[in-house]
Amino acid sequence: MSKGKKIGLIISIVAVLGGLGYLAYGNFGQNLVYFFTPSEVMAFAPDYYGKKVRVGGMVVKHSLKVEPGSREMTFELTDGAATIPVSFMGIPPDLFKEGQGAVVEGYWDQGRRFHSNMIMAKHSEDYMPIKLKQAGVEMPKKDFLRTLRPQ
Amino acid sequence: MTFDLVEVGHVAVILAFMLSLVGIVAPLLGLKSRNGAWIVLGRQAVTLIFLLLAIAMGTLIYSYLARDFSVKYIAATSNSKLPLFYTVAALWGGHEGSLLLWVFILSAFCTTAVWLHWRTQPATIPYLILVESALMFGFLALIIFLSNPFERMIPAAPDGKDLNPLLQDPAMVMHPPMLYMGYVGFSIPFAFAMASLFSGRLGEEWLKVTQRWTIFAWLALTTGILMGGYWAYYELGWGGYWGWDPVENASFMPWLVGTAFLHSAMVQEKRKMFKVWNLFLIIMTFSLSLIGTFLVRSGVLTSVHSFATDPGRGVYILLFLATVMSVAFGTLIARSPKLRSPIQLDSIVSRESVFLFNNLFFLVAMFTVFLGTLYPLIIETLRNDKVTVGPPYYNAVFMPIALGLVFLMGIGPSIAWRKASLENLRKNFLIPLFVGLGFLAVAAIAGIRSPLALGGLAVVGFVASTITFDFGRLTAFWAARQRVNLAAGFLTAFAKNQRRWAGLVTHFGVLILIIGIISSTIYQTEKVVSMQVGDQLQLGPYTLLFKEIRSVTGSNWTAQEGVVEVTRGDRFVTELRPQKRIYDVSMTPTTEAAIHTINMGQLFVTMPEVTPAGATIRALINPLVLWVWGGGAIMGIGVLLNLFRPKRDGT
Repeated sequence: MSKGKKIGLIISIVAVLGGLGYLAYGNFGQNLVYFFTPSEVMAFAPDYYGKKVRVGGMVVKHSLKVEPGSREMTFELTDGAATIPVSFMGIPPDLFKEGQGAVVEGYWDQGRRFHSNMIMAKHSEDYMPIKLKQAGVEMPKKDFLRTLRPQ
Repeated sequence: MTFDLVEVGHVAVILAFMLSLVGIVAPLLGLKSRNGAWIVLGRQAVTLIFLLLAIAMGTLIYSYLARDFSVKYIAATSNSKLPLFYTVAALWGGHEGSLLLWVFILSAFCTTAVWLHWRTQPATIPYLILVESALMFGFLALIIFLSNPFERMIPAAPDGKDLNPLLQDPAMVMHPPMLYMGYVGFSIPFAFAMASLFSGRLGEEWLKVTQRWTIFAWLALTTGILMGGYWAYYELGWGGYWGWDPVENASFMPWLVGTAFLHSAMVQEKRKMFKVWNLFLIIMTFSLSLIGTFLVRSGVLTSVHSFATDPGRGVYILLFLATVMSVAFGTLIARSPKLRSPIQLDSIVSRESVFLFNNLFFLVAMFTVFLGTLYPLIIETLRNDKVTVGPPYYNAVFMPIALGLVFLMGIGPSIAWRKASLENLRKNFLIPLFVGLGFLAVAAIAGIRSPLALGGLAVVGFVASTITFDFGRLTAFWAARQRVNLAAGFLTAFAKNQRRWAGLVTHFGVLILIIGIISSTIYQTEKVVSMQVGDQLQLGPYTLLFKEIRSVTGSNWTAQEGVVEVTRGDRFVTELRPQKRIYDVSMTPTTEAAIHTINMGQLFVTMPEVTPAGATIRALINPLVLWVWGGGAIMGIGVLLNLFRPKRDGT
């Protein structure tokens, strides 16, 4: 292979890698969703307003209200120290219940309310409802985000 | 206390563990003393390990059926009410049993390979026994000391906790064994590659001998992944089949590199190029198979902190991975000066170079998945921050890569080796290029606007016509030459080079799969409404009437069942019965979808919520979704044609 061709090959490999790398890099940052507790949400700096985040906590008992005839509901999410109001539009997963742990995805608006259209429930090989319950209160940040999936 | 069969299994595993040491030491002594008796001893060791592990599996299955809840693992994954079928499958419903299944399959493949290649590959056998025994040693140590499915508890649990209801499903019963057969299947070419590196016989031999093993492993892994997707589709009730979940990604990464290896191996076979690269790819494929196994079953995906609750297991797994990878890559680096290929790339417009770019695309695809899957773990370890990488990232990056790969799939099989002349290019690709552009034009006129769908259809048109063109030309050639009709000519053309045609059949399956994916994701129609009995819902051309809601009972669950009548105009189409189930033992609710197939597409209805006034109904139309599974089936047929081709059919 001549020198010129070799350079041509190297340039095309670099071009392909560069293009794909840029594609990956450009999309990576935008699609990172950070996870917070209600306490952290209450302490949000203004640049977090309107940004897509996930919040994990326990659904406060007797706080769940469903708008009759619609798919809208409101409830409160707590980590024991702080409580935030959540408006949700969509289908809650099978395991969503008052007094249970839940992770909501959405944004915190200036009106001091969390808007969400996705709630996640545990999806894992090990089925442990009681632990999940504790996890919702004690370790919302620690233990059960990554096995969650939209249902 | 009575005699318990499960203890026999426990002893069998411990004996197998000790024999794996024999499997490591005997071939080493044999190589040193050049005494064949040591190698025979090694063969006896691996054969015995296989028999012992079969006994272990058998006793554990027996204890499941006997409902022996004094075994911790059985109590954690089954229940006296669990149907028989799932009671057996519960064996691989958790971490400990999965590991046992993994090492059992490994011992079965190892024994098969040793006996199969005993006569023809005498120089490789000692290394094969050595590498496989070392792997079995690693896994059996993990099973015995840190993840023991035979562990007992006294007193026994009165009843088991039950298998996760989502796993009580036929596809999920077959999914893990299939995946593991794929993962473990790659260990044979891996062991042959290591044999070639250790012994310094660095030719093409190892690739040729293990070609069928590689294809078999790839088939099993592909089937396993598709089964997982199918399960997610109808069992999880969200109407999709791939969510870029870390668990899915874990099996996808070895698939991507394994597919790259499958292709680049051909270049070495034909042109003796890419030597180091192929060794790198097979080591990478098998390492990712190990990572995949551990990622899914160790709990690290839940949180790196779950390692902290069981630090021994986590540290052991990391050490094991590090050992396997550093030995393998270390030997490769040490040997690489001897692996210089005497042949260089002639031209950038050649089949070699298409294969090179194919590999590049597959590896970049793997790294994007790797980054998205492991970045959250790294961030959590370093900064204690929780973060997820959403599906939009994967979709945005992956789709262009996939289309690029499909495009290369059209060029690769037809372009000339070494250097393609302009004549070669014109003859093979001019017409397909116009067909592709034609597809694009028709799609655009038909009103398709999504760039992904347009690009996808153009590329699919291009590739489909290169395949048809290829088949057509050779069929005509053989028909004319042998003076027979076209059907006979087609069969002759096929028989003359079954390997090539088999590959093209698989490629054709990929095209069908791609169309299925594009159609069912981009053109999905979804409606979610709260309905009362008697309400109607219009979904596309279909009218859904919510007729009633009633209670039904299964063997270990009770459910609220909605009855939905589907009509199109005045014509009755079907009656769908989505369910909201509660499983008796664990009291877990699940959402069971009701599915009706129309024109290769599916009407998919679930009832995610039951309210006092009625229910929430979620209805989807997934156009051409059956093409996803159909494409997968065609790919499988292609691979089988490749596996069971007559020997010595030329290339």
